Amino acid sequence: MFNVFYNSNIFAWIEKIISFINSIFFVLLIIGLSFALILSPPDYLQGDSVRIMYVHVPAAWIGLASFTCIAFLSISYFIFKIKNLILIIKSILPIGLMFTCIAIVTGSIWGQPTWGTFWAWDARITSMVILVLFYILLIASQKLILDEDKANKISSIIAVVGLINIPIIKYSVEWWNTLHQPASIKITGTSTIHSSMLMPLLLMFLVLILYCALIFLMKYKTEIIRIKKKNLKRL
Amino acid sequence: MNGYGIFVWSSFLLTFLVCAVVYYKTRKTLKKYEKDFAKEIEDLSVEQKKTVLETSKVASKIFSSYNKTI
Repeated sequence: MFNVFYNSNIFAWIEKIISFINSIFFVLLIIGLSFALILSPPDYLQGDSVRIMYVHVPAAWIGLASFTCIAFLSISYFIFKIKNLILIIKSILPIGLMFTCIAIVTGSIWGQPTWGTFWAWDARITSMVILVLFYILLIASQKLILDEDKANKISSIIAVVGLINIPIIKYSVEWWNTLHQPASIKITGTSTIHSSMLMPLLLMFLVLILYCALIFLMKYKTEIIRIKKKNLKRL
Repeated sequence: MNGYGIFVWSSFLLTFLVCAVVYYKTRKTLKKYEKDFAKEIEDLSVEQKKTVLETSKVASKIFSSYNKTI
């Protein structure tokens, strides 16, 4: 059932997927950037500053999705004890941290022209900072705890505890009075964003997802080689 | 950009600069690991090398791809 998780099977696919992503990435990036910076219309209220949304929102989505993935993979690791899940978690961690930081910084830059300040201890921003702290805790537990099994257990617990923060981030704009606007895109219900802005947003999201896949696969490949290297030393 | 250029351009530049640095560092680390791993296989005795390459698909793949690049 879990044959797909064997390193040799996964390894064979990694090269193929990396080449495929490399072949389409720059074309999609140029199209995405053209729409985000030139072709999409300015907002009636925020003007051209709304273009920051095309990097801020996908970065935030990726930051949140990465942590959710890490938490569910940690739970799966507890149940099934598949070591490869830990390799996947280790490969997702830096991507999640990077995009959460990008979301906070670009949000801060966007805050200056729209709110008149770079920073406010608003519920959404604060909960995002807490997410960064969880990412740092996870990376620190993996790097600083030398006993691998103990490190995996502790990081899994941190991830499961951190999962509580995800719905807090999502609903912070509804539960508290915040400077941050409520969600414009809803999976269930009508989105309040015009298609001329939604399309470039989804395009930029696709570009950044492909970038994440590229980084993830390279990191994952590095982790597999690191383990194989360890096994080689035992010979 | 009607006065918003500094905010928009700085956001995009920062994002893509960070992405480029992370890509470069990740790729560099991967290549270093591949090179070290291939060298370690190379340093094994003929018998050990044969066993490793026969039993591990991953090892044989890395070893052959590394030999192609040099």
